Amino acid sequence: MFSFHQKRACCKTLTAVLAILAVSFVASAALAQGVPFGAPHPASAALSGSGPVGWIFAEQAAFYRSLSGYIRASKDDGAAKWGLFGISFLYGIFHAVGPGHGKAVISSYLVANEETWRRGVTLSFVSAGIQSVVAVIIVAIAAVLLEATAKTIGWTVHIVEIVSYVLIILIGLRLLFVKGRSFLFACRRFEWPVRQLEVAPSAAGIGQSFHRNSAGPIGCSHCEAGGHGFHCDGDHEHDHHASAWSHAHGPEPAELGGAGGWRRGLSAVMAVGLRPCSGAIIVLVFALAQDLFWTGVGATLLMGLGTALTVALIATLAVSARQIASRIASAQSGWGMLAMRAVEVGASALMIAFGALPLAGYMASEQLWMFTG
Amino acid sequence: MKRSIAGACAGLLSSLLITGADAHPHVWVTLHSEILYAPDGAMTGVRHAWKFDDMFSAYALQGIHHAKKGQYTREELASLAQLNVDSLKEYDYFTFARGDGKKLKFTAPVDYWLEYANPALVLHFTLPLKSPAAAKALQVEVYDPTIFVDFEFAKEKPVALDGAPRQCLLSADLPHQPTPAEQMRLSQLDATPLDANSPFAEIFANKMLVRCP
Repeated sequence: MFSFHQKRACCKTLTAVLAILAVSFVASAALAQGVPFGAPHPASAALSGSGPVGWIFAEQAAFYRSLSGYIRASKDDGAAKWGLFGISFLYGIFHAVGPGHGKAVISSYLVANEETWRRGVTLSFVSAGIQSVVAVIIVAIAAVLLEATAKTIGWTVHIVEIVSYVLIILIGLRLLFVKGRSFLFACRRFEWPVRQLEVAPSAAGIGQSFHRNSAGPIGCSHCEAGGHGFHCDGDHEHDHHASAWSHAHGPEPAELGGAGGWRRGLSAVMAVGLRPCSGAIIVLVFALAQDLFWTGVGATLLMGLGTALTVALIATLAVSARQIASRIASAQSGWGMLAMRAVEVGASALMIAFGALPLAGYMASEQLWMFTG
Repeated sequence: MKRSIAGACAGLLSSLLITGADAHPHVWVTLHSEILYAPDGAMTGVRHAWKFDDMFSAYALQGIHHAKKGQYTREELASLAQLNVDSLKEYDYFTFARGDGKKLKFTAPVDYWLEYANPALVLHFTLPLKSPAAAKALQVEVYDPTIFVDFEFAKEKPVALDGAPRQCLLSADLPHQPTPAEQMRLSQLDATPLDANSPFAEIFANKMLVRCP
């Protein structure tokens, strides 16, 4: 009878967290779909958030269009270069507010891995830096050295993009595996309130002592068939925090600050940063056509710096949200811990989704091949 | 507590998902279009001249061999023009026509070529209708349903009729400035892309209307 309830409670927790994730996802999608399609003047449906978003949308398009003028001007006028760099930086900030640029992936990664905001900011900057450098390398090799056509560049970008998504999925899967296991351990160790509710009223005293001595083993054996009490207890002492690259036993929180932690984070941002921004590619090729390749490189790097600021801000928000949730959770002994593990599982699953959806063509990516094959 | 975690979770997710503006659009096209008629007064097709913005022009011209710096002949651009019209097939040439409310179908483009007028590339092509259409109200729209390409009528003589009966009246309908709600939707195109069948982008369409008695 207990096992049935425990199992149910375990499932319930998982279902609840998944439901939260799903609801948020659907809600945002619904908000996106909320504009009445086909209605010629849906001004009445104006949504509260649309003002600043619309403004950002208009601004970044205007910045982008003004880039060509600045690049042209810097041909004859060295001072115009500074204007170009300033506009590139602003464009980077505004442009990165939009989907892509790894905000979602980096944030999911940070949440799943319980990273600090400091590391989140650093990883955001590294990712944006890689993104700019990849754009420069692609254009330098394909356009400058090989004199390849736009079609070739487009395909190169496309292939790099696919590699990036696949790597994101792999890192997400690894995270999901580690976090999923961590969740199961937390689940085993969890002292189910269900039992207390059902047992306590009938025989409070016996219920208490029984609970103290055998809660773990019972929970354990029902969360994972075949688990033995002692073995299980020994296990989850160490699995308090499991990380993406650890083996059976996750590192202690203190270890996260070490070199290994950085290596893990870097592999994640490497996967994200691989995918170059098509805007940067176009700007670089345009600058090259004006014999101003190095000016284009400067503009691209500044765009990257602007992008980094936005991504870092969003990553910080994600890390803070997780910390707040963590603080609330730690106030509640068993349940909170379990919920946080479940959030990590959810974040890992999201990371996989952010890699898989664009790969499956569900989320449109910036296309460079609309006219050029 | 459940609720607070749910709140934190939802807040986090929305910060990830309800992020705003994307790069849309990345290509700007200024268009001139002519609606073509047969001597019997039926519409036979559309002749387009699309001028690309200078940055995309430079991008498209990358690696195209040309004898003189800064100049491209029609022959030198022939393979690129072929690539353009081939790629455009997937997007129905961004041209959508209706005769008295009924959808009209186009066949593959004919008479296509690229012209380079520094700094912009201009793509010329003619889209013949599958079968000529005689209609009292004709409507030809040019737009990208995914809004990756921004189409805009040229300032001067954006549209014309070629060989239409004299009583026919042509008018051009410019797309309006997007409302805040439309901008909101626009900004979410990457997270929730438009279905190619979605009529959403029609509000940004450049419409040509021909009324014949």
